[in-house]
Amino acid sequence: MLGKIILQNLEKHDFPYNIDKKICSGWANDLPKGGETILFTSCMHQTASLSDTFSRTIPLAEKVPSLSVFAKLIKPNKEQLERSYKVLRNIASLLKKNGVNFGYLYEEEPYSGAILLELGYLNEFGIHAERVTKFLKEKGVKRIITVDPHTHNALNRYNEFTKFDIEVVNYLELVKDAKIKTDVSFVIHDSCLYSRFLGLRDVYRQILTNAGGKIVEDLMVTSKEVSYCCGSPIKPVNHELGEKVAKSRVEQLKKLSENILVVCPMCYANLSKYHNKIYDLAEVVE
Amino acid sequence: MSEWEIAVNRAINNNVPKVFQILNKYPYILELAKKLREAKLQVLSNPEKYIEETINSVKRIGGNAYFVRDANEAREVISKIVGSGKKVVMGKSMVAYEIGLRKYLQSIGNEVWETDLGEFLIQLADEPPSHILAPAVHMTKERIAKLIREKLHVDVDVNSSHEELVAKVREFLREKFIKADVGITGANAVAADTGSVILVENEGNIRMSSVLPTVHIAVAGVEKIVPTFYDALTEATVQAAFAGLYPPTYINVSSGPSSTGDIEMKRVSPAHGPKEFHLVIVDNGRIEISRDEVLKETLLCIRCGRCHMHCPVYRVEGVDWGDPPYTGPMGAMWSYAVYRDTKPAMYCMHSGNCKEVCPMKINIPRVLERIKAIGNGSIRDGDGYGKK
Repeated sequence: MLGKIILQNLEKHDFPYNIDKKICSGWANDLPKGGETILFTSCMHQTASLSDTFSRTIPLAEKVPSLSVFAKLIKPNKEQLERSYKVLRNIASLLKKNGVNFGYLYEEEPYSGAILLELGYLNEFGIHAERVTKFLKEKGVKRIITVDPHTHNALNRYNEFTKFDIEVVNYLELVKDAKIKTDVSFVIHDSCLYSRFLGLRDVYRQILTNAGGKIVEDLMVTSKEVSYCCGSPIKPVNHELGEKVAKSRVEQLKKLSENILVVCPMCYANLSKYHNKIYDLAEVVE
Repeated sequence: MSEWEIAVNRAINNNVPKVFQILNKYPYILELAKKLREAKLQVLSNPEKYIEETINSVKRIGGNAYFVRDANEAREVISKIVGSGKKVVMGKSMVAYEIGLRKYLQSIGNEVWETDLGEFLIQLADEPPSHILAPAVHMTKERIAKLIREKLHVDVDVNSSHEELVAKVREFLREKFIKADVGITGANAVAADTGSVILVENEGNIRMSSVLPTVHIAVAGVEKIVPTFYDALTEATVQAAFAGLYPPTYINVSSGPSSTGDIEMKRVSPAHGPKEFHLVIVDNGRIEISRDEVLKETLLCIRCGRCHMHCPVYRVEGVDWGDPPYTGPMGAMWSYAVYRDTKPAMYCMHSGNCKEVCPMKINIPRVLERIKAIGNGSIRDGDGYGKK
C-alpha cells in the first residue's frame, strides 16, 4: 500500500511527496542545462529537513492517504534551504576547481527512488528505476555525478532491475584537491552507505587529510565495524527509535570532538537536532 | 540510562575489543571461516542428501536419528523418548527454545532445568532470552543477584561479586546434573560423514548434560549439518572465536552412545556415559528457505552473536527486537526463517555493521531487504528480484 502511494507520487510529482520542484533547483543558476555528464542531487540535500515530517506521516499515510503529507504541498524553512543550497554550491565549485565539467537537469531532475528501496518496496523500486533510466537516456545522459549516499546507492542498484548502462560516480571520487577552511579537529560520522556499502569511506578521509584537516578516530566510535547509523532510515518505520539512535550517536561522537563532520544530508538532518556543531564536508573544505 | 543500556554497554565494552584481539592474534580463524562458508553452502545446495547421510551415519554408530518437519513433530518425538516423571537437564539450545521444548516437557510432568547460566537465569525470571549467546545480557549483575536470592533462597545481595553469583548457581545445579535421567543439548555442528555432534562451551554444563544422564538427546536445525567431521570442528572453532571466547574452554564431540574397546579391542556400548543417543534434526521452514538464493544466506549463520553487538537497532531496542530466541540482526532473519514473521526485518536500518562483522559474510541487510519486500507484499516469497 505505502509503496503504491509513493510510486503514485513519483509519477505525479516526481518526488515521494508533494513539493514544489523549484526548491530543488533554486541553488543552481549558472550551470548548463543537461549534457552528457550531469550533477544529480535527487533533491536530497534540499529536502533532508523535511524527512522528519515525512517519517511522522508514513504510519498515517497507509491508513488515510488523503490526509497526509503525501497530498499536501510542503517546503523546508528558509534557513535550512539556504544552508543546503550553500552545500550544493560548494560541491559544484569544488568539482569545477578540480576540472570537472557537468550540467544539471534543474526541475526535470528525477528522484532516485531510494526511499522505495530502503523501505523494502523492491518491485515498486524496479518500476521507478525503469522509468528514470528511460528518461535519462532520452536526455542523452552518459555519466552521473551524485552528491549524497542514498542517491548513489539507489542508482547503483538499478542494474538489478533494468538495463542501466549510465556511469555513476560520486563527487567525492572526483575531488582530488581541496583546502580546509578551519583548523579545528573533527570526528567523522560516517554515512553507513558510503562506509559499508559503497567503498568511499577512505575517499573522504583522504580529501580531508590532503586538505590539511585534522581527524580524531577511535575503534569503538569511528571504525568501519563499530561506528553506526544516524537513525534516519528507521524513522519512517519507528520515529522514536530513529531519534533514540541519533541521540545515542551524538553522545558517542561528542566524547571525541565537539565538531562532528558528516557526508550525508540525512545524517545532518537527524543528528543536528541534538548538536549544533555538525558540518557537511562541503562546508569545511573549498 | 535504562537497565538495558547499562547492561548492553557493559557487554559491548567487554566483547567487541576482545573479538578484534582474537582475530588479530589467531589469523587462521578468518581462513577457517571462509572454508566453513563453502562447506555450509554445499549442504544448502542439497539439504535432503545431507540429512539422509547424517541419519545413516548416526545409526551406524549406534544412535537413533530423526528428521522432523515442524515444532509439533519435534516435541512429539522428543517427548516419546523422555516420557514423564523424569529429571531433565538441558544445555542451551536455540532450537529447543524455538520448538518450546522446556515448557512442553514440564507440562507433561518432567522436572526440567536449563544448565547454561544465562539460560538458567532466563528460566528463573521466566523471560525470553535477549541474545543468542548471552541470553541474560539484558540483566545487570545487580538484578541477577536479586533474582538468585529470591528464587533460590541463597545469601547474595547487590554487592555480591560475579564470582559469588556463579558459585551459588554451581552449587544448585550440580545436584541436578547428578540426579538427571535425560540430558538434552543442541549442536553447534553435526558431521554428516560420521554422525557426530559437536558442541562448544565454557561452563562445563554441556559435557555434564551429555554424559551424566543415561540418555542424551541432541536437537539441531538442518543448517547445523556440515559435510565432514573436520568441517564440524571448524564450525566450533570459528563460532567460539567470533563469540569472543577463544580458545573455548571445551569442545565436546558426541558420536553415538558411550562405548569402550578395552576388552579384546571389541567396541562395546554403553560404557560409563549415556546408554542411548538420539539426534533430532529439525526443519521448521529451513529447507524451503534454502531454495531462495537471497534468503538461504540466513542458514549460513553460526550464531556467534557478534552482529548483535554492532547493530544500532539492537543496541537501542534490545530484547524487544525479534522473536525469541532470535533477537538482533540475525534474529530478524531467523524470525522469518522459522516463524515466517516479516515484522522484525522492517526494523533494519541497513547500517551494514552486521555484514562487516559476520564470520560467514552474510549480507544481512540484503536478506532483510528481501524479507521486508515479502512483508510489504511488494514481492512474493519465491519471486526473483526485479526484471533485467
